[in-house]
Amino acid sequence: MSFFKTVKNIFSGNSASREKVPTTASEDTPNTSTAPVEEDAPFSEPEPPAMRRVIRVSADTENLFPPDDPDKVLIKAQPSNTGDQCLFMLNRTLFEGHSWWYPTFESAEGSSLAERLFSLDDVETVLVHEATVTVTRKDKSILDWKPLGMEVGTVLRELLEEGGLLISQKIRDEMPSQDDIQNGIQKAINEEVNPGVAGHGGLITLQKIKGNTITIKMGGGCQGCSSADFTLKQGIHGSFRKFVPQVGAIFDETDHAAGMNPYF
Amino acid sequence: MPRLNKFRVRIETGDKGMEEPVRFCFNSHRLPLEDVSGGTKTGEVLEGGYEVNSVTHSMTLVGPDKGEWSLKKVTVDFECENTPPYSVEFPAVELDETSEMDIWQDPPLPTFDV
Repeated sequence: MSFFKTVKNIFSGNSASREKVPTTASEDTPNTSTAPVEEDAPFSEPEPPAMRRVIRVSADTENLFPPDDPDKVLIKAQPSNTGDQCLFMLNRTLFEGHSWWYPTFESAEGSSLAERLFSLDDVETVLVHEATVTVTRKDKSILDWKPLGMEVGTVLRELLEEGGLLISQKIRDEMPSQDDIQNGIQKAINEEVNPGVAGHGGLITLQKIKGNTITIKMGGGCQGCSSADFTLKQGIHGSFRKFVPQVGAIFDETDHAAGMNPYF
Repeated sequence: MPRLNKFRVRIETGDKGMEEPVRFCFNSHRLPLEDVSGGTKTGEVLEGGYEVNSVTHSMTLVGPDKGEWSLKKVTVDFECENTPPYSVEFPAVELDETSEMDIWQDPPLPTFDV
């Protein structure tokens, strides 16, 4: 398409010159890809990138644990990229349908799982989510998780073999309904989180809630921002827990690589 | 972000085939698959790949410019720098002229038994 025709179309509002823009579900993110250029127009301007919605489907995951001996407690440790935390995956559920975050030793009272983990040197926080436990350590300078990981594995195995109550009855009894949690989180987003990130062009949306486990998506200036993780952990987590103290795990399902206008 | 040396994709077409060449979009650059065998008509299986040798920001499988293309299963074998080769399998999805499918996945984090 010639430059003059393009300009004419812009001013005339000719919609035929515009690229098709998707109006699709929220999980789809617009992406750009190079459009073909007309070959017989020597001074033609390339078409603007075609906007397509990107469909993201979860890859099928292979079974971590062989089903040979279901009675045997199997645990795999997966340190994070940054080395500040380690995810322990088990072949059995620890807290069915829910999650719980223990920020301090005192918060572990009555929960044998967290009490025993806090008795290990260097354990800072514990997050239990269905069949996983995430541990952060006090000494952030140690990146080798093998020694502490083996200790955590031993504790988890012993507890499961003993068969006691892992999560305190008080936590279970006082768990709000999913609707109450959803309303509280939406209130936190509307009244505190989004007004806070709006100055950076950011927008936080609640994507999913299961029990007391929250999944959010960061959009606008937050998507792809180098401070997104800091915003999530220092700002959003605190705000959510202030409005709903019983919130467990908080996940971010933003595709930060697809961010088109990150603030930093 | 890891540096992807090369990848190979295996696409099983479902009940809606297509006849256009299969293209993928790497870091927003649209490219054809190389070393292609098989086809994308209904029920056919296509295999192809590309030596990318670049840091990956995004990688998608582009839908046809005309019509619909149902993918029954997509398997991608990745060879990245400094990590062992790994495979990712995606479930059924349908593409058309407005869509592309994200087929990139970071190398899995290493695990150990405890």
